[in-house]
Amino acid sequence: MTQQTWDEVGGLLPHDEFCAVGDAIVANIEQVIEGKTATVQLALAVLLAEGHLLIEDVPGVGKTKLAKALARSIDCSVRRIQFTPDLLPSDVTGVSVYNQETHDFEFRPGAVFANLVVGDEINRASPKTQSALLECMEERQVTVDGVTYPLQTPFMVVATQNPIEMEGTYPLPEAQRDRFTARIAMGYPDAGAELAMLDGHGATDPLESLRPVSDASTVRRLITHVRQVHVADAVKRYAVELVTATREAADLRLGASPRATLQLLRTARAVAALEGRDYVLPDDLQVLAVPVLAHRIIPTADAQLARRTTDTIVSDLVHRLPVPQERRRSSYDTRPATDGGRVPYEPRRA
Amino acid sequence: MKSHRNLGLVAAAATLLAAAPLSAIFDRWTWLVQSTIAVAAVAVVAALARLGRAPLWGQVLAMLGGLLLTLTWLFPAGTELLGVVPTPATIGHFGALAEASLVDMRSYQVKVPDTDPLLFVTVLGIGGVAVLVDLLAVGLRRPALAGLPMLAIYSVPVAVYVNSVPPVPFAVGAAGYLWLLAADNVDRVRRFGRRFSGDGRGVDVWEASPLAAAGRRLAAVGVAVAVLLPLAVPGMTSGLLSTLGSGAGDGTGGSGRGTTGQVDLFSALQGQLSQGETTDMVKVTTNEPSPPYLRFGTADQLRSGGFQARSPSGVPINRDFRPTVPDRAEITRARYQATVEVMEGFDMPLLPVYPEPVQFKLSGGWSFDPSQQVLFSNRERSSGKRYEFEYVRSTYSPAALRQARPLPAEHSLRRQTVTPAVPEVEALVDELTQDQGTEYDKVRAIYDHFATENGFSYALSTEGGTSGEEIVDFLTNKVGFCQQYAAAMAWLVRAADIPARVAFGFTTGSNSDGDTYVLTNRNLHAWTEVYFDGFGWVPFDATPAYGVPGAVRSDWAPDLEVKEEVAPGPSASAGPAGSGSGTSQNQLQEGLEGELSGLPNGTSTPTRPESSWLWWAVGAVALLMLLTAPALQRSALRRRRGGRRTPSATPAGVAAGGTPSGEHHMVVLADADRARADAHAAWDELLDTLVDFRQRINGAETPRATASRLARDTFRADSDARSAVRLLGRAEELARYARDPHPGEPLLPALRRVRAALVAGSDRRTRLLAATLPASVLLRWRVAAAAALTRLTSSYGRFRAVTLRWSPRRLLADRRPR
Repeated sequence: MTQQTWDEVGGLLPHDEFCAVGDAIVANIEQVIEGKTATVQLALAVLLAEGHLLIEDVPGVGKTKLAKALARSIDCSVRRIQFTPDLLPSDVTGVSVYNQETHDFEFRPGAVFANLVVGDEINRASPKTQSALLECMEERQVTVDGVTYPLQTPFMVVATQNPIEMEGTYPLPEAQRDRFTARIAMGYPDAGAELAMLDGHGATDPLESLRPVSDASTVRRLITHVRQVHVADAVKRYAVELVTATREAADLRLGASPRATLQLLRTARAVAALEGRDYVLPDDLQVLAVPVLAHRIIPTADAQLARRTTDTIVSDLVHRLPVPQERRRSSYDTRPATDGGRVPYEPRRA
Repeated sequence: MKSHRNLGLVAAAATLLAAAPLSAIFDRWTWLVQSTIAVAAVAVVAALARLGRAPLWGQVLAMLGGLLLTLTWLFPAGTELLGVVPTPATIGHFGALAEASLVDMRSYQVKVPDTDPLLFVTVLGIGGVAVLVDLLAVGLRRPALAGLPMLAIYSVPVAVYVNSVPPVPFAVGAAGYLWLLAADNVDRVRRFGRRFSGDGRGVDVWEASPLAAAGRRLAAVGVAVAVLLPLAVPGMTSGLLSTLGSGAGDGTGGSGRGTTGQVDLFSALQGQLSQGETTDMVKVTTNEPSPPYLRFGTADQLRSGGFQARSPSGVPINRDFRPTVPDRAEITRARYQATVEVMEGFDMPLLPVYPEPVQFKLSGGWSFDPSQQVLFSNRERSSGKRYEFEYVRSTYSPAALRQARPLPAEHSLRRQTVTPAVPEVEALVDELTQDQGTEYDKVRAIYDHFATENGFSYALSTEGGTSGEEIVDFLTNKVGFCQQYAAAMAWLVRAADIPARVAFGFTTGSNSDGDTYVLTNRNLHAWTEVYFDGFGWVPFDATPAYGVPGAVRSDWAPDLEVKEEVAPGPSASAGPAGSGSGTSQNQLQEGLEGELSGLPNGTSTPTRPESSWLWWAVGAVALLMLLTAPALQRSALRRRRGGRRTPSATPAGVAAGGTPSGEHHMVVLADADRARADAHAAWDELLDTLVDFRQRINGAETPRATASRLARDTFRADSDARSAVRLLGRAEELARYARDPHPGEPLLPALRRVRAALVAGSDRRTRLLAATLPASVLLRWRVAAAAALTRLTSSYGRFRAVTLRWSPRRLLADRRPR
């Protein structure tokens, strides 16, 4: 249970190796989840961005399967929690038990003490239990009876929830949702993929035969690599503008948090690295805006009445916001400061 | 009641503003002071009457009474009670003043001096208008109708200056009228309660209502259009333009009759000038073998800008005249007979005659001024007139003229030796005349000074100068036409204490058929006349003879270009030089500057078409430059962007390294900068090209997205262009967002490839527009203009906020600044 420092993880991963590992994990998962490459890549990117993933979709599209496949592809400790209405916080975090031999209280770690925690049907647990995840997801530690226990690295919570069935569920509170880096929807597979699924899943569960292609230490190196990805100032500014735009949008009652900005950029780094780039593009932010931001914001009543979902609101913002034009000046640059008839962007005041 | 008081004040002020055009009539401002007193008296009396709840007719009577008292106080007859109460003698005095004003109107020219009769009529008129305006605006609440009496005031200068009404007083008067209308309507709105702005805020009394902004703008535009529209109408331009252009009100050359039917002959001549055609003016038949010049006007009032005519005064022509100077042995005299037929082209209240006429056969109300030698009429026009007259022709020899003695000190013509004090002129005259004994020799010395050998030359326009005195400018530049020569010589002669004046008329011209001469506008001329005691007015013409077609000189004033003093004929009288001059019945303006620009005569006609051709050429070039400016700017921009060296051209700066694969380039910093700048330039050029070819540009698109959209949609069929645009997009993306910019491939060929694909994919119109009026440049201009406008608007807003804070109306209303 000793925490490995980043220095102990090892040096930078060569570019090709990173891509090879990433591709291998994605390919492995795709043995189980067919025809969902982008979703699988996003799930992996969230892992590499040290985030947590919320998979939200109707029942039976493979939410749990994706979470389990991701867990199995990496040789690391995996725990699964089935969130039921009677689940207690101590079941998640752990509990101190009186040991009669030592005449002392002994900490029994809960389900979160693992590299990958799969929380199934998270909205079925009571808010009390859901709240047990707050500390561990953000701070990567558990405090029980005044004692703080650090969690392992990497640590990722992959939770699933069903948005349709509302009876007997407790919607995730805002604070809890903000802790998930990205929310993805599985979506129905296309006809070909579904057909292939029938063939593959008919006899055996492919999940059973899934073998890990990586391990925790490799993932740690991947994470280190992701941290090194270059982000130009203009891109950082763009991320801030994007998040600021959600706070100022007329359709939104609540915009995204600064944590969202941080996680947006982190995930963008991971996506860029998985695509083989060592720099982040505004394109990455544009792609990630909906999965990373949409579940954190609350639309106004008017927008809800107009059937505008948070997804469409965010993607509208992305299509409206000008891409940063700011460039690095160089001694060769003879252009005037505002060239091209374009008005330089000025951050709006809130 | 308070609102009525305000409206009465506004009505009085508007009346005074509407009287502003009268400033063009009077020489001084006494009329304004007296009119203000009268209008104020009317306003005060009206306010008092309303305070006493007097009925409307009572108000009118009170105002008229107030006006009468004011007039009595201002123009007393001496028999008034307490100085203000009129007596029958006062009324009689007023009648006398009114009658005298008619005489004054006839005898004075603009600008008129302050004479009691004229002032009386003015104050009476303005006071009457004030009563009417008050009655209409306050009593009857019909302020629109109050414009009519105001217009009556304006019609006075309109009647006097037919062609050139000063625009500024008009604008002032119009502003007064608009103020009256606005005040009335504000008053109307206030009856309903508080005024409010569009957004619900109440409008304070001192504030202009935002809702009425459109009305105010309409009013301002209306006044501006009224002033500027005449400029666009052909034939009306000269007056306003010359007023504005010369900056001198005297340049308008109006005539001074207060009656109708006035024509500013100067402008008529201008009209012919602009047509550039030769118009027949006068046909004259004489039995004199070599006739002198037909003259019709005289200017003997010297101003610093030149010689000005004064009103002729004379007697009806139904009797015989005698030459002004008695016969003597030194003067050779002969009597001839002449018949003049005036054509339509010459339309003035003056008739041309040969000097000196002694008998006329002419019907109608024509009079002759023996001192000015001018045949004039107060009612009739010269056009179409045919008449005969007999005249006595005097010729002299230089020797005879040398006998002329200086003018006696008490001689009435002494006043025609007065000149403005210009030290340079006096020094020149002293230098020229110091060794000359006789009057004639002095005049000859001055006359000889204008010789070509002294540097004088003929030109259709004068040159500017810095001395501040036009006479000095001319004597320094030594370039001008007949008006300058005639006026300058007359000035110098006067400075030598010898009476001199400028005469206007026609040269004999070159179009003669036996003893009949057809004189055109090109024969118009001006020359100098000098008075010798005992000999009368003797003509001299200092204008270089080469500038005057058909010039003939006399014994006493020979052609200066010919060294030998050969007299061409005993009868030649005045020298000619042909350009038209501004003349009119009462005013003949001899301008020293070229603003009156005379008519070109034969020798100089080529210069005018040439100069107009030049103007056309300049205009065409300017238009061409304006039209090609976008394309030129676009190509300059393209050249500047293309002028960068591509990174591939400096392979030395690029070192492969870093990774074993060799794909990852490390670029040294300086070359990274260059590559980055190149990529930006190429991308900007690509975007501009896309804009030029009407391709959609989306600011929310990344370079990658733009490139792939283009590759997907626009260049679907062109794989070269597809890869080129992807290369450009990738280069820009790297330059913007990556650590190291795009290291390798040259971007210019890719740019050319994309452009070629765009050209191939567009229709002819798009291609043409992209080449001639590139949309990217126009867009840039538009953005720049919008930005400038925004800056202007915001600074105006700030200025307005500051001024509103200290608005006098606000301070008067005692509202504290917000």
